Amino acid sequence: MANVRGCNLPDDLYYLVEKHVWAKPMEGGVVRVGITSVAAKLSGGKLAAITVKAKNIGQEVKQAKSIATVESSKFVGPVPAPVTGILLRANEKLASDPNLAVSDPYGEGWVAEMQASDWEAEKDSLAIGAAGIAAYQAKLEAENITCS
Amino acid sequence: MADDKVMIIMTSGPDTPRRCATPFFFASLAAAMEYEVTMFFTIDGTLLLKKGVAETVCPKAGGKPVSEFLQDAIEAGVKLLACTASTELHDLQPSDLIDEVKMVGGATMWQIAEDCKTVLTF
Repeated sequence: MANVRGCNLPDDLYYLVEKHVWAKPMEGGVVRVGITSVAAKLSGGKLAAITVKAKNIGQEVKQAKSIATVESSKFVGPVPAPVTGILLRANEKLASDPNLAVSDPYGEGWVAEMQASDWEAEKDSLAIGAAGIAAYQAKLEAENITCS
Repeated sequence: MADDKVMIIMTSGPDTPRRCATPFFFASLAAAMEYEVTMFFTIDGTLLLKKGVAETVCPKAGGKPVSEFLQDAIEAGVKLLACTASTELHDLQPSDLIDEVKMVGGATMWQIAEDCKTVLTF
């Protein structure tokens, strides 16, 4: 787990840095996705709801298109898909406690699972490892974002 | 390409501050859900688009002014249309309104409404 400007960023996740979302390959081509600690910070820190668009379940969503929305009293925004894939399911725990995505964004607070359409081709467009963390750090510095 | 089109018709204005934030919030939310969103301003709603007005309207004492909700909606890609007749009602010129607004007649509202999956009115 790297700590960049107060933001926790595990180095074993794939990031779509521009959109502040992560992807984690599971078994059978399933990819678990969620928001980063940076997105949690930018949304105001206390969430009113995270809602996966029910109509999209079973449908293919393109990379960077919205799979869910984040609402707080100060902010509303999309959760973009880090990869192209069929939206399989939402994390039902977020319905009762959306703030799991703030307190545990890489664990219990994951947002959804997708069946990646072409993970092998698309993973190269994501940031991972030391180089990925460095790319994320550059974005945070360029936009003067901190999590502390 | 948006999944669907939705429209919010905004008739509330500076006289009712508490009715003035949620429509913009809902518009931004719909845009975040990949809807193509139009806000159509008429009656008193048009007054919120007059330059400098939204900054002075606060739905909650000490909270965000309407201008910030408006800016969030613009940044989310929400299209803003204002009814020409409502500017006449308030003796406004199109140049009195913020640059992001397009002036249209009432018939345009009907055509968009027919094209939209959902229409909300505030």
